[in-house]
Amino acid sequence: MTKEVSLEVDLGPLHLKNPIMPASGTFDVKCTLLNENELNRLGAVVPKSIAFKGREGNPEPRICETDCGLLNAVGVPSRGVEYFIKEELPLLKKANNIIIVSLLGNSVEDFCNLAGYLNKIEEISALEINLSCPNLNNGIPFGVNEDKLYELIFNIKKNTSKPIIAKLSPNVSDIKKMALSVQNAGAEIITIANTFMGMAIDVDKQLPRLGNNIGGLSGPAIRPIVVRMIWEIAQVINIPIIGVGGVCCAEDAIEMFLVGASAVQVGSANFSNPYIMLEIITGIKRYLKEKKYNSIQDIIGLVKD
Amino acid sequence: MENPRDINSILTKGKIIEQVNLNNNYHKIKIKAPQIAKKAKPGQFTMLSKWEIKELFLKRPFSFYNIEPDLGTFDILYKKKGKGTQILAESKIGDLVELIGPLGNGFKIPKSVRNIAIVARGIGIAPLMPLILECKQKGINIYSFLSAQTENLLLYSDKIESISKETFYTTDDGSKGAKGEVTDFLEKILKGIVIDVVYTCGSKRLTKHIRNLQKKYNFLAFVSLEEHMACGIGACKGCVHKTKDGYKRVCKEGPVFPVEEVIFND
Repeated sequence: MTKEVSLEVDLGPLHLKNPIMPASGTFDVKCTLLNENELNRLGAVVPKSIAFKGREGNPEPRICETDCGLLNAVGVPSRGVEYFIKEELPLLKKANNIIIVSLLGNSVEDFCNLAGYLNKIEEISALEINLSCPNLNNGIPFGVNEDKLYELIFNIKKNTSKPIIAKLSPNVSDIKKMALSVQNAGAEIITIANTFMGMAIDVDKQLPRLGNNIGGLSGPAIRPIVVRMIWEIAQVINIPIIGVGGVCCAEDAIEMFLVGASAVQVGSANFSNPYIMLEIITGIKRYLKEKKYNSIQDIIGLVKD
Repeated sequence: MENPRDINSILTKGKIIEQVNLNNNYHKIKIKAPQIAKKAKPGQFTMLSKWEIKELFLKRPFSFYNIEPDLGTFDILYKKKGKGTQILAESKIGDLVELIGPLGNGFKIPKSVRNIAIVARGIGIAPLMPLILECKQKGINIYSFLSAQTENLLLYSDKIESISKETFYTTDDGSKGAKGEVTDFLEKILKGIVIDVVYTCGSKRLTKHIRNLQKKYNFLAFVSLEEHMACGIGACKGCVHKTKDGYKRVCKEGPVFPVEEVIFND
């Protein structure tokens, strides 16, 4: 009998049965075609970012498709942390044993309060800090300033014992500096990247296509940039990386493992094909078998400088 | 195991079994997809792709123009205007499409309704057709108010006329019916008889007129809204429309909303 290849990965203190999970904002446990068995086959579940209090999000139109990508200015609507705990967490608990909760805040204090509040909830496996929402913090995301980034992660760490995943903004000139900053502040894991700031114009109406004027670009268009960033970061840090950006098939995810990601999030591709994460898991297994590897861990970071 | 989702939709393949070019850029396509056709209700929609994800990223929403559960088929009407509908227009009989559906909340037909009106502009007739067919079966009188730029964009007007008790037309160029607002005809009818429910789709302007008439004549009114969608199942929060209770997802809480709840920005 041939030995089943192992997709298990260690992500800092987290142990995942496989390295595939949804990207925050593209998965809603209340609106998914996947049943509980299927959700349990994912490496983790990651609900949309939550804020302490409810927030409405941006005016419509919130999305527009661009070449090989999706531009969105949804603006992180949230029904607040109480709603999350009461309505979503029970479903997430049934869905998967690894629950990564994405946090959004307007200030250091905001983030710290939220992290502190969630610290007591046993079922939450880790907190992912959304550092790149561009329409917050007086228009300056935490993720574009090394010192702010350090201060934020350092203070969040003081308020929680849960592993911290810093989800970096890619809209910076040197992503390595940002990665080192969050590592030094105590983050256990890095997610790279969030969406890239972009804009699209309706040339007929001569107006922006998004209600918020600018938005974040995701989808296959951004993948090569993210692959480069993962590769750059992997050379300088010693904490694990979650890659995210435009992954649509197993090969796309494998690319990220090869440059140093220990796990991969699938984002807007979930919108086109709700089963795509399961197909990617199957495809990674097939690749490892064909290449005669026993474990996904054997290929992580194979492509070095 | 129990499913945590509260949607009753599936991802499935469908086969194109008929493609009709109605005129210019307007097409009708018939798709065989029994699992969706059996569950679909008037006013609901399906997300459709006939392309690989790296060719065109998202599926596109289309409302059901005609539903034939016994045959396992449904029709959609579409206007060729972007890459997606271009690909669809070039498709051949037997081609496969990928579908998620049925999605959204359809039109409600309250009990003991005797007279309804539909108000549609151009291709806005699409989701209203299965509604009036159902109303006809129930013995409800249908008053149809149709408008378009020009006569040949009054899609399937013969069919609608044959189902309706009365049909009124306006065209921008006066090629059929009167020029002006089709809702002016609606008001004339409202003065004479009780219309229980008015249904409309798409046009912001017509919806605003209906809202004004509703204040004066007091009837139920529903509008089927259109927005760009990414997922169609409520997950992405991308297709919202402003309502009295804040932003609501067109795909999930809609696409059919009571007219009085919807807020238009301009």
